[in-house]
Amino acid sequence: MAKIVVLGAGIAGHTAASELRRQLSKKHKVVVVSPNRNYQWVPSNIWVGIGKMKPKDIIFPLEPLYKRKGIEYVQAKAVSFHPEGDDTTQPYVNVEYVFGERKGEQEKVTYDYLINATGPKLAFDMTEGLKPGTNNAYSVCTYDHAQHASEALHALIEKAKTSEKKLKIVIGTGHPKATCQGAAFEYILNVEQELRHYGVRDKIDLKWLSNEPALGDFGMDGMVLSYNGKPMKSSEMVEMIFRDRGIDWVLEAGVNKVEEGLVHYENLKGEYKTEPFDFAMLIPAFSGHGFKAFDVDGNDVTPKLFKGFMVVDADYTSKPYEEWTVQDWPETYQNPSYPNIFAPGIAFAPPHSISKPRKSPNGTEIFPSPPRTGMPSGITAKLVADNIIDSIKAGHISLQHKGSLGNMGAACIASAGYGLMKGSGVSITTFPIVPDYKKYGETGGRNVKKTFGDIGLAGHWVKLALHYAFIYKAKMKPFWWLIPE
Amino acid sequence: MTQIITKKQKRWMQNPFIQFFKFIYLNIKILIIVAGGHGGTRDKADS
Ligand SMILES: Cc1cc2nc3c(=O)[nH]c(=O)nc-3n(C[C@H](O)[C@H](O)[C@H](O)COP(=O)(O)OP(=O)(O)OC[C@H]3O[C@@H](n4cnc5c(N)ncnc54)[C@H](O)[C@@H]3O)c2cc1C
Repeated sequence: MAKIVVLGAGIAGHTAASELRRQLSKKHKVVVVSPNRNYQWVPSNIWVGIGKMKPKDIIFPLEPLYKRKGIEYVQAKAVSFHPEGDDTTQPYVNVEYVFGERKGEQEKVTYDYLINATGPKLAFDMTEGLKPGTNNAYSVCTYDHAQHASEALHALIEKAKTSEKKLKIVIGTGHPKATCQGAAFEYILNVEQELRHYGVRDKIDLKWLSNEPALGDFGMDGMVLSYNGKPMKSSEMVEMIFRDRGIDWVLEAGVNKVEEGLVHYENLKGEYKTEPFDFAMLIPAFSGHGFKAFDVDGNDVTPKLFKGFMVVDADYTSKPYEEWTVQDWPETYQNPSYPNIFAPGIAFAPPHSISKPRKSPNGTEIFPSPPRTGMPSGITAKLVADNIIDSIKAGHISLQHKGSLGNMGAACIASAGYGLMKGSGVSITTFPIVPDYKKYGETGGRNVKKTFGDIGLAGHWVKLALHYAFIYKAKMKPFWWLIPE
Repeated sequence: MTQIITKKQKRWMQNPFIQFFKFIYLNIKILIIVAGGHGGTRDKADS
């Protein structure tokens, strides 16, 4: 009998747990440890953030599902890692209960295999004054944040109806090295449509404020994509959309402080500037959770497991941008020191950024961190689960399943406005996610046959279809596994 | 020079009939690109 413990029940953790349960016989134990009792389909937070969906439309409780499927659920958060165990137990994770009678209590959860799928810590504290719901700045990173954002946005819309003064909304990144520009991009387009819907678009200015070096960088060094059969840079595509929607932009902006209605940032020229706003949605920095790890004697072995996020089979040697290759990126998400520990989804430490690193004359690094979106999170979780299943069956570690972000495609279906007939979407597919400048040297590191962009109502329908399909899959309804990650 | 989205293109983008076929096309294309396989990059057998 093997016991597999999965930390986190987001896209990566839940995918791994469901797959393990589906493929392993009941004599093997699958345990999920996660502090949030609900599964949330994060990409649809954008629609909660404009009030077109309610949190209940994008979440469901995990415990009843896990009970039915034979997955043990512990509503707790991981606190420390003990990959060699101690005198009395095998390897374990110390967890702290966050709910119910046992709240605050700690417990050792032992394992044969451990999947760390704890995603990022939403590090609002890394930017002074950036806290969802304070200083008129909001977030859409979780469903409750998004719900607050929607309430504040609609209050602003009401104010705009009677206001003499022109109001201003700022949307983008809230830290010099923030990532997830795609989510902010979707939000600004949805907000823009919402303002038009309520007839106040001419009363509110909209500004994109981002740490990207160019529009459409998305933390992926931008891309050349095929649009209407012709090559087009993602920067040109986003500029075309922003001009069409009357959205202004500021790039190379490293936000360092938020005050009530005022965002402070430094740009790559080293200038310190401010931008006033009446409502802002700024994506915070994503950091590791600050976990500690200890060996059998209680010595701190954190660097073996963590480099902010979890250390996996990437090449972390520090080298200049010109020497980066796709081979630096991990393939199996296995920790090199402890082969029974894996970290799919956002939980693994990337070897470096994808966008070119840039520094201001004051020494501030201002560029996007690498994004790890939902589809790759699901794919990497599934391949980790498949390797564990093979290993259990073979009786030794097997790593047949591989999936580097340098040999994997991603689809970014950005909602650009909600509505069955009035909606719109910007569909961008990219292959590979991490550009392979050797293989696709002529085309900016990407395979142009698989990297394309499209704008229109169909994109909105695709995004809606994905919402329903992925929630169906996550609920493990009949034949759920036929829906790919 | 920046491209613009023309009125004609906008009508195309919001035409439900045309977009229905686009929807099918996009789904197939996304399925092929994203679910169509992935692998390692480090040894030749993978690529
Ligand atoms: C607003 C928004 C919109 C997005 N839109 C898209 C999109 O359209 N398409 C797309 O592909 N991607 C999108 N993304 C990115 C996508 O949501 C992420 O890639 C994905 O959620 C990552 O999955 P994950 O499981 O690695 O991490 P998460 O989803 O963050 O899950 C982490 C899990 O770990 C749990 N956890 C945290 N701390 C602990 C702990 N100490 N112990 C145990 N468990 C813990 C959390 O409760 C959670 O269950 C979007 C992201 C945001 C924020």
